[in-house]
This record gives sequence, structure tokens and C-alpha cells, in this order.
Amino acid sequence: MAFWRKTLQTNAGLLIILLLLILLPHIIGLLTGSDPFATRGAAVSWQGTIIEIYILAIFTISYNLLFGFSGVISFGHALFFGMGGYILGLALEYTELTPDMGIIVGILGAVVICGVLGFLIGLASLRLRGVYFTVFTLAIAESFYIFWGRLPLTKGEDGFTLTTLPTWLNPIADRITFYYIVMVIFVLTFLFIRRLMFSPTGAVLLAIRENEERAKTIGYNTLYFKLMAFTVAAMIAALAGVLQVVFNKKVGPELLSVGYTIDPLLMTIIGGAGTFTGPVIGATTLHLLDRTLRDRVITFTPDFALDIGKSWMLISGFIFIIVVIVFPYGIVGTWNRWRAKRRPPITVSSGTQAPIAEKQSG
Amino acid sequence: MNKTFLVIGAVAVGLFLFGLSNANGDLGSFGITIMSGLFQAMLLFLVASGLSIVFGLMDVLNFAQGSFFMIGAYVAYAVHHSPQLIAAIPNADIRFIIALLSAVFVGGVLGVFFERALLRPLYARPIFQIVMTFGVALVIGELIKVVWTPTPYSWTAMFTARSGFFTLFEQQFSTYRLFVIGAGFLLIIGIGLLLQRTRIGIIIRAGVEDSQMVEALGINVRAVFTLVFTLGCAVAALGGAVAAPFLGASTGLANQFLLSAIAIVVLGGLGSYGGTAIASILVGVSVAVIQDWSASPGVNAPVWASLTPMILLVLILLIRPSGLFGKEN
Repeated sequence: MAFWRKTLQTNAGLLIILLLLILLPHIIGLLTGSDPFATRGAAVSWQGTIIEIYILAIFTISYNLLFGFSGVISFGHALFFGMGGYILGLALEYTELTPDMGIIVGILGAVVICGVLGFLIGLASLRLRGVYFTVFTLAIAESFYIFWGRLPLTKGEDGFTLTTLPTWLNPIADRITFYYIVMVIFVLTFLFIRRLMFSPTGAVLLAIRENEERAKTIGYNTLYFKLMAFTVAAMIAALAGVLQVVFNKKVGPELLSVGYTIDPLLMTIIGGAGTFTGPVIGATTLHLLDRTLRDRVITFTPDFALDIGKSWMLISGFIFIIVVIVFPYGIVGTWNRWRAKRRPPITVSSGTQAPIAEKQSG
Repeated sequence: MNKTFLVIGAVAVGLFLFGLSNANGDLGSFGITIMSGLFQAMLLFLVASGLSIVFGLMDVLNFAQGSFFMIGAYVAYAVHHSPQLIAAIPNADIRFIIALLSAVFVGGVLGVFFERALLRPLYARPIFQIVMTFGVALVIGELIKVVWTPTPYSWTAMFTARSGFFTLFEQQFSTYRLFVIGAGFLLIIGIGLLLQRTRIGIIIRAGVEDSQMVEALGINVRAVFTLVFTLGCAVAALGGAVAAPFLGASTGLANQFLLSAIAIVVLGGLGSYGGTAIASILVGVSVAVIQDWSASPGVNAPVWASLTPMILLVLILLIRPSGLFGKEN
């Protein structure tokens, strides 16, 4: 009993947020006065936006495991996102499986194959130091992008659409079910990464980020730990890619493009690299900004008007540059620093642990 | 070191035989392949040389280098085709020279701004420098789309060198390609002499070895950083301007050349100038030979030509983790 009470008390905030996420479609339904179970209307359109945020958040959480927690900077993360989508698409559209079997085989295949792919790429490249590794991942991802873009089987640059989804997984006819499926996957991903980073393995990953030479000297096989993080991140990214493809019913080489590497990178930095809630907050902020600004046109003078929808990439590029220069710890990181400054360390021993504890919390 | 030259020699001979057999012994078409390979190599060198020296000196891999190539192409196109300038200077050759100079100028000015305003605040945080250049590449690409629309332009206004041909082995060769190859070789030698024989070259080479030590000797290393970075951007823009009469101006140029140039720099060994020059020629000619082969009716898989630099890069990194002329740790 005492154990459960303690667990409830320490995780009260998370439980309230979970409850809020479960009720969110209904709250929005009440606020907008539309039916959350319908197939169209304001509530359903908002569900779509939140589903997109969940997918981006899952993807960004996987990137943060590398960039934020392990100090591994990959510019090829879109590879796993896109490969996950393509594997699901191939299983559904290019095999004789029934839709139910196709989706199961597709999801399992995407996660497993991307895990193996991540393992092999990591094995080949993680011993490269610093910028060599970054270049290697970019080159591999770009090669896959070129490859799928020119492959006649999957209709090259146009890509193909999904036509045979199972009835229980249909984001258009039954969006609220899909909402809950994506939400559960998002919550599980979040908890999994939290659990991982509080485990001894997580501590080693943080040590590698802070100083890889030192971690090596203590006796850890840093290559092994980085390889594990890379493989796990690849599998989660594949899952995000699968969800994205099911939601949009469209598979194309743009899933592997640099844009899908920049998105999680930007969202990680804006939210706060190396924090748990940072990627989620980054994904939410950026996607909501995108959605609210998408259809606006700002007219400066009659000749010069800025169509935000068309120049969204440009604006996010400027946000990117400004954030990197003036705001490097992101939203959550800055908040944690501000709080840590206001609250002086209580004891000497907790004071010495402060740097790592501060980066972990949130 | 001898082993490195052996590898290069083997690859060169292999390419030669493969290309010749693919052309069925027809020297004319083989010559065209080699010529377009060398042409490509010179363009790649113009992007890769800046990348290599900047990385050696400042430890910044500039992911926006390809974007400067693209800027060069657009500026040269716009200047050469602007109606006002055509009216003012009817001579197309002089207009082309002005186009080249303005591309270099724009590249240099943007380079100074980039280094001073965006990279300088980040020297304490090297990871964010890489992230920053990535962001700058994104912004340049999008700005170009705003200014010039995403539609590609192809070069229409001809000038003497571009429209001229000469005949060899009963095949017509473009004089412009020959001109670019010649100018490229001169530039390779020129930059090499600058690095080897001048005082600034000595400072740059010393900075590549140990920039802190150079600073301790009382030399303003930051000023040298700015100079070298600017030169790198200007030379990349020159490359774009030179390429524009053949490739036109399009938004795809940035990524295409950035990735090949990165492949070259890593292949040759980061920070090694000679390695970059040799790797440029190697990659340029292999791409041309593979392009020829993959476009032949029996194969018909043009994807292989675009993949060639990546495949070379991945293979070489697996065999030699620090490139052909790179230092082993």
C-alpha cells in the first residue's frame, strides 16, 4: 500500500496530464460544440492536429535520446522514419496479406528491420569521431532518399497511397480510436525513455555525453552503449514513421528528406535538449505555431505580402538560428535553470550532484 | 603513404579501363566522358576546398557550403540575364565576367556576415556551430525560393566560350568545359602556392596543426578564421557561377554539391588540401564514368550516378576511418 501511495504522490503531475490527454477530445468537443465521434467538424480536425503532435513528439523523443542524452549527433534520423513508413506501405500494398495481417507484419517488420538497420549503421559508424559520424549518417540517409525517389516499383518521387487499411485502424472513418492508439504509444514511449534514463544504462549514456573519454577510462564500453541508444532510437523513429504513414495514407520519399531530420532537431533544441518534457513541448509549440500561422498572409505593403504558409520553412529556419544563438537550453532547459537559481542547494552533497540532476529533471 | 598512392592508382586505372570498355574503345565518346568528369571535378573542388580548409582550421564543418554554390549560380544567372545590363553592355563575354565577379562578391559578403554574426558567438559550443550551419543552409535555400521562385532556370544567353566547340577524335568538345578545367587546375595550383609559399599560408597551415599555439605566438587567429571562411564561401560561389552556364540555377544544386563535396573532403582526409584536390578528380571522373555506364541502354539505372559519391565515401570510411591523406588519430 505504502509503495503505491508513494508512487501516486511522486507521479501525481504525470497522472493528471495523462487524465487530461484522455479527456482532451471530449473537452475540445464541448468547447467547440461539435461531436468528437463524428467524421468531420472542429473537434475531429483538432484531434488530427493533436495526433500529428503525438507523432512528432514520439519522433523527437527518439532523437533526443541521441542528441540530448547520449551526445550522438546524427543528421540522418529521417532515414528510420521514412524506412518505417515504406516498410509498412510495402507490407500493405505490395503483398497478398489481408489488411489486418498486413498492418501487424508491417509494424513489426518496420520496427525490427529499422532496429537491425540502425544496429548495422551504428556498428559501422559510431566508432567514427565527432563530425565524421554526422557526415556518415547524412550521407547514408541521403542515399536512401535518392534510392527511394528513383525506384520505379514504389512510383519514384510521387510515392503511393495506402488503400487497404483495416477497419479498426482508420484515421478518417474512426478518428477517435486512432487518437487513443497514438496517445497510448506516445505515453508508453515517454515512460520507456524516462525509465531508461533513470536506469544504470541511462547514467552511462549521460556520462558519455558529458565526457566520453572519461567514461571509457572508468571501464565502460562506450561503443556498446551508444550502439544500444542508436538502435533504440531507430526503432522508435520507425514507429513514428509508421504512424505518420497510417495517418496521412501516403508513402513517399519526402519522408526520408532532410526536412524530417531538421524537424526533430529543431523541436529538441526549442523544447530543451536532454530533458524529458523538452521534446514534447518543442513538438507541441512548433506544430501549433505552424498550424495557427499556416493560412495567414501578413501584408506589409500592397506589393510585399508574406504568405506564412508558403514560407513556413523559412520562418522555422529563422527560429532555428535565433534559438541556437540566444536560447540554447530551450524552453524546459531555461525554466529548469531559472528554478535552480531561485532555489539554492539544500545540502553540500546535493549541491555536487546538481548539474546532472538538473539536466535530468523536467 | 605509398600504399595510399597505390590505392589511388588502382582506382584510376580501373576507372580508365571500365570507361574505355564501356565506350567500346571509341576514343571520342570516352574523351567526352573524361572531359565532363574533369569539369565536374573542378566544380566539386571549388566547393570542397573551402570546406576542407575551414574544417582543418576552425573545426567547423560548414553544411551551408553547398548553399553558397547555389547562391553563386543564381547571382550569375540573374546578372548575366538582367535586361538592364544587357542593354548597357551588349558584349556577352564582358557580362559573363561581371556575373562571375558579382557572384564572388555576394558570396564573400554573406560569408563575412555568417562568420562574424552567427558562428563567432558559438565557438564555446562546437556542437551548436554544426547545427547552426545546418540551419543557415535551410534559410538560404528558402530565401532563394522566395526571391527567385522554386522553378529552375536554364542558361539561355550565350557567350563566346560557351557556344564554341572544337573537334578531336571526330567528336565535338565544348571549349567552355576546357576553359573551366584549365582555370580549375590553375586555381588548385594557385591556392596550393598560397598555402605553401606565403606568410598567410604558413599561418593557416600552422592554425590547422594547432590554432591555440598560433594564438599564443601573438597572431590574431580569429581574423584569420574570418578571412579563410570568407574565401571559402567566395570560392564556392565562384564554383556556382562557373557551373551555371551548364547546369543552370536550381534549388537542388545546394544539396547535390554539398553532399558530393563532403564525400570528397572526407575521402581526401579532413584538412588535407592535396587530398581534397586528388579526391575531387577521383570522384568527378568516377561519377562521369558511372553516369555513362548507368545511362547505357543495357543498364538504364541513372540512380547509380547520384549514389556514387556516397558509396565511395561509405566504403573509404569503413576501410580508412580518416580518409586517404588524413592523419591516423
